[in-house]
Amino acid sequence: MIDPIFQSDTMTMARKLMDASALREDAIASNLANLETPGYHRLDVSTDFAAKLKASLETGTLDSPGGGASLMPAITEDRNARSVRTDGNNVDMEHELLAMNRNSVEYTYLTDVVTYNIKQLKMAISGQVPG
Amino acid sequence: MNLISGIDITADALTAQRTRLDIVAQNIANAQTTRTAAGGPYQRQVVSFETELLKRTDGSTAETVKVAGITPDPTPGQQVYNPQHPDAGPDGMVTMPNVNLAFEMVDLITATRAYEANLSFAKDARMLAQKTLDIGK
Repeated sequence: MIDPIFQSDTMTMARKLMDASALREDAIASNLANLETPGYHRLDVSTDFAAKLKASLETGTLDSPGGGASLMPAITEDRNARSVRTDGNNVDMEHELLAMNRNSVEYTYLTDVVTYNIKQLKMAISGQVPG
Repeated sequence: MNLISGIDITADALTAQRTRLDIVAQNIANAQTTRTAAGGPYQRQVVSFETELLKRTDGSTAETVKVAGITPDPTPGQQVYNPQHPDAGPDGMVTMPNVNLAFEMVDLITATRAYEANLSFAKDARMLAQKTLDIGK
């Protein structure tokens, strides 16, 4: 009976997106650490992850084996980053700090979604609104 | 499992930037040093960074930063006419260190900013870890 709650589309999506968000935080750490390493290229979570996740939600294969649930985000070189720096490095500090802020908000939102789902379950079990 | 996994990268970055700040301090302190253990005037030191691949137990990789080396700047120092100086040559010229204070100050500010950026990441990562622990509360 509990399965449908923990495997609802919202929960699976939140879990997967949280994976991506945590991984993006790593990529940002790497980018900020290498602000001044010549020839370094900025890293990010591969852009096709969110697209594939969305596609699997739309086709209803989110929970099927080999579907959305088995999708894993990966860190790749960001091919869209441009730079005018002569040392070949394309990290921009302001951009990274803003990306970090954005990622924090996204992550906080996702943890709230998961918390909300768990609270709903608690409410169903106890019949009381959790305090 | 590592709750705050980005932190090890940040730690390396802070160490690297700290090394750079130390070298800037050394350069500024020795801006007038005309006699060194190796002989001749002090030579400005330059820190260079390189990436290092960090492989985690779960197979994911990230790029951290390491100090590649601290090398002397080969630019010749300025010649100053000062025959009273104990290190003056027979022609009265003294070779001063090749430290340019303006360059050092720019380096100082850049390193400080990079250090701050990494510190703010550390704060942010800690906040996110806290959020993870608060799931369900």
